[in-house]
Amino acid sequence: MTDIRVDSVSKRYGKHVVLDDINFRIKSGEVVAIIGPSGSGKSTLLRCINYLEPPNSGIIAVGDLQMDCEARPANTDLDRLRRTVGMVFQSFNLFPHLTVLRNVSLAQERVLKRPRKEADERSMELLRRVGLADKSEQYPSRCSGGQQQRIAIARALALDPKAMLFDEPTSALDPELGLEVLTVMRELAETGMTMIVVTHEMRFAENVSDRVIVMADGRIIEHGESAAIMRSPQTARTQQFLHAVRDR
Amino acid sequence: MIDTLSFWREWLPLLLEGLKVSVEVAFASIPIGIFLGLVFALGIQSKSKPLQALTVFVVELGRGTPVLILLQFAYFGLPSAGLALSSYAAAVAALAASTGAYTSEIIRAGLEAVPYGQKEAAIAIGLSRRDQLRDIILPQGLRIAVPPLLGFSILVFQGTSLGFAIALPELISRAYFVGSNTFHYMPIFVLAGLLFAAICVPATLLVSRLEKRLSRYTAS
Amino acid sequence: MAGNFWSILAGVPLTIALTFLAFAVGAIFGFPIWMMRMAKTRPVRLTATGFILAFRSIPPIVWLFLIFFGVGSGDISLSPFISAVIGMGLITAANMAEIYRGAYAGLDIGQTEAATALGIRTYHRFRDVIVPQMLRTALPSAVTFAIGLLKDTSIASLIGVQEVAFQVNALAQRTFTGFDIYVIAALIYVAISLPFAVIARWADLTLRLRVAR
Ligand SMILES: Nc1ncnc2c1ncn2[C@@H]1O[C@H](COP(=O)(O)OP(=O)(O)O)[C@@H](O)[C@H]1O
Ligand SMILES: [Mg+2]
Repeated sequence: MTDIRVDSVSKRYGKHVVLDDINFRIKSGEVVAIIGPSGSGKSTLLRCINYLEPPNSGIIAVGDLQMDCEARPANTDLDRLRRTVGMVFQSFNLFPHLTVLRNVSLAQERVLKRPRKEADERSMELLRRVGLADKSEQYPSRCSGGQQQRIAIARALALDPKAMLFDEPTSALDPELGLEVLTVMRELAETGMTMIVVTHEMRFAENVSDRVIVMADGRIIEHGESAAIMRSPQTARTQQFLHAVRDR
Repeated sequence: MIDTLSFWREWLPLLLEGLKVSVEVAFASIPIGIFLGLVFALGIQSKSKPLQALTVFVVELGRGTPVLILLQFAYFGLPSAGLALSSYAAAVAALAASTGAYTSEIIRAGLEAVPYGQKEAAIAIGLSRRDQLRDIILPQGLRIAVPPLLGFSILVFQGTSLGFAIALPELISRAYFVGSNTFHYMPIFVLAGLLFAAICVPATLLVSRLEKRLSRYTAS
Repeated sequence: MAGNFWSILAGVPLTIALTFLAFAVGAIFGFPIWMMRMAKTRPVRLTATGFILAFRSIPPIVWLFLIFFGVGSGDISLSPFISAVIGMGLITAANMAEIYRGAYAGLDIGQTEAATALGIRTYHRFRDVIVPQMLRTALPSAVTFAIGLLKDTSIASLIGVQEVAFQVNALAQRTFTGFDIYVIAALIYVAISLPFAVIARWADLTLRLRVAR
């Protein structure tokens, strides 16, 4: 079981407190959406969970791996953490000098030490799953944004992670292309993947995710079952945010 | 070590005289060269095809030829065409020509970096082609070109060292003179190098500071 | 006139060899210097910065004289050609270190982050993700530098390397003419650098098309 536990996590840049005592738990197989205004610390929270940004204090636990944020992380723990948690970025960050197939295979070879042939086979399987097997020999620049993001999802899945983090995966995409990415994510959720998704797609938050976390100014201001929060938000701040997003 | 220091003390005045010549030549060639560069840059943007082709040819030849060859051409080559120059004049002429060729590209890049909307706005308020250039494009473009022009000026100053090849009594000629008379080549060239570094290192650091400052303004 | 031309051409192989060797030395040594420049330890970083500043601030002629007359007149004797390769090579290393730095700075940090998030450790992150992309972005500046280097190798004539500029001056002194000889020399340098520029532009375009986003 790969539960995720975030205990009293704080993050500062200099004096600027970006995450202020964040607490939540996610059960294995749950899908959680994080919403909130820009600058509220959503990206930083995701990046803290896989230690792209080491938090200043608190505890982050993924499965039986527990990271004490005040201690210097051990390399073996970092490796395990990143193998267990996959990440998908807003700007895809595919490797432009590698073919689509090599993008998906690289980490399998370097991290899992899979032989190239085996890695490529697994990559093809994942590319088929996101509907892009025919693009395997192309370079990412020849793919549309939506295709690139699906490739990025396949790349993250290649390490067989137990949980996936998505940081506004559709924000850089036209609505139509965003839809094909959301479809892949929905299918992934149906397979029982544990997912944390920062998003402005309110329909995804409401329909696909089990729970919603609302952030503002580095804190969690509301947290609960999706339907409840989306339909009847408790705080004025959340109401205001939801209005703003829906009126767009 | 003590020996080296007293050796340096003995010859420093001579080297400083040479340094003065280097600085003078640089200060004469840089402004002339940048003016040439501006002329070339405008020539390349000219509407007249022959003028444009001629400028491109001159610039490419100037950039393609080693400065050393330009210097030797001005000093040893021009007399056979009936124009004898002193080593000073030859050095200034050659360095200015080379500076002109290189800075024309820097200036052109600066002019091209001015957003096209600026030109459109200038047209829209009815400025003549000349005034568009003089009042709108040049002031903005040249400002963008300032850091690279300063950076290039440091290279021109270093380039004066090649005056050695045409008997210009600059820093390296003096150092070589000392070296070949005392056979202490090592310490005298180290001293010459230190003198160059004493000017170019701070200048380089200043330019890169300026560059960072300006890029911060344009980025925001 | 035709005879003149051939005697200048005799210098071309040495000009090319010197350019090529110095560039190879510099492209290779520039790498560790760049890495030292980025090191976390201050003394290491300062050493690299000092090296870069020194070799970029002191003109090539000083380094060549220092190596050929200074070092070469001591216990070890260095041929003009070797002195020139060492001197121009070190200058190139300092400049390539800066070019690598620029290329690295130009990289999207998303690349590093994506590799890190995939658990790819430092060595492979550099080898598989960062360096290949850096080399591509560094290509245009590296070629520009190499063409400049080609011209700067003419300075080696002043310590007696018998390359193009050396042949030109020998000829000018023999024949007491100069004008056309120097013009020919200029054209030869332009002619040598032309293919470089063309190949570089082509390589840059094809690579750019491939990695363009
Ligand atoms: N590397 C950084 N250095 C300093 N401040 C940062 C850095 N990254 C993010 N911040 C600040 O942290 C706050 C939260 O940013 P972020 O997590 O990106 O918000 P969100 O993703 O919710 O829009 C912002 O005020 C941002 O300016
Ligand atoms: Mg964000």
